[in-house]
Amino acid sequence: VDAQSRQYGRAFAAGPAVYMAVFFVAPALLLFVMSFWSAKAFQITPDMTLANYARALASAAFLKVTWNAVWIGLAASSLTLAFGLPLAYYLTYVRPSKAIYYLILVTWFSSYLVRIYAWRTLLGTSGLLNSLLLQLGLVDAPIEALLFSPFAVLVTVVHIYLPFAVLMLVASLRDVSGDLLNAARDLGAGPLTAFVRVGIPNALTGVLGAFIFTFILVAGDYVTPQMLGGSSGQTTGLIIADQFRKTGNWPLGAAQAFLMVVIAGVVYLASVVLVRAAGLAPRRRRRSALAPAAQLQPIPRAAL
Amino acid sequence: VILRLVVAATLVYLIGPIILITLYSFHATPSLALPFTGLSLRWYADVFANAQLLDALVASLAIALATALVTLVLGSFAALAWPRLGGRERRALEILCLTPIALPGLFLGVALLALFAQAKVQLSAVTIVLSHVVFALPPFFIAVRARLSLFDQSLEEAARDLGATPMQTLRLVTLPILAPTLFAAALMAFALSFDEFVVTAFVSGTETTLPLFVWSMMRRTVTPLINAVSVLTLAFTLVILAAAYLVGHLRRSSALGRRLADA
Repeated sequence: VDAQSRQYGRAFAAGPAVYMAVFFVAPALLLFVMSFWSAKAFQITPDMTLANYARALASAAFLKVTWNAVWIGLAASSLTLAFGLPLAYYLTYVRPSKAIYYLILVTWFSSYLVRIYAWRTLLGTSGLLNSLLLQLGLVDAPIEALLFSPFAVLVTVVHIYLPFAVLMLVASLRDVSGDLLNAARDLGAGPLTAFVRVGIPNALTGVLGAFIFTFILVAGDYVTPQMLGGSSGQTTGLIIADQFRKTGNWPLGAAQAFLMVVIAGVVYLASVVLVRAAGLAPRRRRRSALAPAAQLQPIPRAAL
Repeated sequence: VILRLVVAATLVYLIGPIILITLYSFHATPSLALPFTGLSLRWYADVFANAQLLDALVASLAIALATALVTLVLGSFAALAWPRLGGRERRALEILCLTPIALPGLFLGVALLALFAQAKVQLSAVTIVLSHVVFALPPFFIAVRARLSLFDQSLEEAARDLGATPMQTLRLVTLPILAPTLFAAALMAFALSFDEFVVTAFVSGTETTLPLFVWSMMRRTVTPLINAVSVLTLAFTLVILAAAYLVGHLRRSSALGRRLADA
């Protein structure tokens, strides 16, 4: 890169960089600082206290919904990999079907609320699933528990975030040549073993990325639990959102939000350690957590 | 064979609910169960008779258009800067322009709300647009950067060797080549903004967008009106995406055709 074009580069970068600094970095920092402030009687005063963190961690309600967020998040990201990996494998090595690719894009772009609503009608007491079960004589009365349960939340969030994960997985598997898998097969590995022992380790950054992205997005989702979770399926997001809407204790909400950030970090580190322990990680250069996002192509190259 | 079954089941799971919603939007009775009791367009008629809903739709369209334009300008500058920067500066730009994609809407929403409140900015359609750009820029940047990695740098060098100033090169060579990609990515930003709910819910003030309106309907009752609105917005999003695809594709095939004809 020569000096002149670097100058142009800096000039071009200035606009977007300033915008993101003002509307992304600054708000995130402000939220962090605010988590140390104190709020009394709807009056927020700048302060330097850990009281919000202490209060959040001492609240049984907070711990309960956070536990929900963590296990629903982990279950959803595991299920996402369980469904997403076969699909990504098929698209990468068996048949790179454009039709399937577009189908995934369509579901990714179909509205978030619409999909929540669709599952609510499907799982409701007078919904399709229950009326089907009734007509088949499998049950005598509609199963109430289908809707307003952690199960309903899980089914819906996997549906919402799976397309995004599949696109990430396809992008990372694309870097792993099919020849590698064939070589493993020639050396006597079955197709599944070849994929798990050779394919996944080589695409590990992307696979871990898809896992942790799904976890963060699911654990931070509050709309799905609110609509489908009932009283047993609520997650931290709703409590945080309520602090900023109803009760109005913003500093407490900010502290709760950053506790979620810490949890996401712990889950990421734990999954890295687990993968290492399972011997799935190749001993190679390490890349940052953002690398999978950098590889991601939301629209197939051919389309642009 | 097992793989095929798993793939097929996953696809049914992904697309099934969307097809069902579409079917029910044409259902003659408000029932959301089987069996089907006839087709009707009554819910669509209701949609177009609902003045509040149409107001929300217009607001959403205007916000999405503004978001797409701001994203187009900022994103194009970011994409043009990307190949011109050295290692560390390039990483910094990438981190600034990509990180929001890895954050839940809730986090962005409350952080922006805190910012606007501290800066004493009145919440309105303007704050919605400012917020939407934050999450529309990363996908825009990724899409355009993917195209840039295929960009033939020698074209710019050739223009410079022939005496073009950097600005002329940009205007006459680089931008015309990138234009279809930029346009397609801007359409994607439009679609993302049009559908967004979580961030909007925090920074909207008294403004009502279509997703916010649908949300208030969802909380009140289960009405088949929602099916019809859903199908309409889905169809609209698909048309936008198809347009983005065609712009990219047609231009590419005509460029390829020209190159082949020249050869």
